[in-house]
Amino acid sequence: MKDLVRQRLSINVDVMDLLNEQIAKEAHSSSIYLAMASWCDHNALENSAEFFYNQSKEERDHMMRIFKFINDNGGMAISPEVTDITHDFNSLEGIFESALEQEIAITKSIHNIVLKCRKVNDLATENFLQWFVKEQMEEEQIMRKALDLFDLMGTEGIALKLIDERIPKIKE
Amino acid sequence: METILFKSRYYTAYQPEKGRCFFVDIRGKKIRMSFCQLLAFRQKVLAMDLDAHFDSELNRHGIEILTLCNREHLFILDTLEVIDLKMFVQGIFAMSELHALVTV
Repeated sequence: MKDLVRQRLSINVDVMDLLNEQIAKEAHSSSIYLAMASWCDHNALENSAEFFYNQSKEERDHMMRIFKFINDNGGMAISPEVTDITHDFNSLEGIFESALEQEIAITKSIHNIVLKCRKVNDLATENFLQWFVKEQMEEEQIMRKALDLFDLMGTEGIALKLIDERIPKIKE
Repeated sequence: METILFKSRYYTAYQPEKGRCFFVDIRGKKIRMSFCQLLAFRQKVLAMDLDAHFDSELNRHGIEILTLCNREHLFILDTLEVIDLKMFVQGIFAMSELHALVTV
């Protein structure tokens, strides 16, 4: 008997489910960064706002990368529903702490999918996810660099303005 | 000529010898599905909240409405049928994985 499922789908179906969950997480992440950008904009932190607008776009690009991968390999990518986006932030430092937590959660999630790929011998998806493993390392490093600025310069008065001026450089 | 792909208590999935499609028998109604429709069917079934069936506030009547193939078909399922359906859709794809293991 020919295996029609395998003929149509190049990736493991359970891994496909995890990738769809990852799509939702990336979309959620993108929206959270947009909310952070909005807070920064309202608080005259222009560089930080620009930084989070870019982060938001990057997360959406990640989402689209996974979305296309699923569809290109015969699966069905699910367009995500995004809810529960908080807009309550207290400080720029708090925002960057949340951003780091967000990135760590995404990293863990990617690693979990890689481990699942290994378990079910889905080599194609594992190979595809290697880019994300590297990307997440860089994302975490960027957020840590931002938090280092707060440790170095403090969080009060002019320090906040100086930190905002240095934010564009943390990606370099 | 059709081969049974997977059979559960209430449902059966067939794969025809010719034609790149699947047939799913639900309550005696044989539904033709493309692979894309089969994936959509699986997605819908796995998204059903089984826990809600045991909570009188979340799912008061203990039923689930399943629409298939762009609402061409409609089924009302009770809790036992939903439990069986969830195992059924996983069984269809598990058979493919077993097939892959055997033919490696």
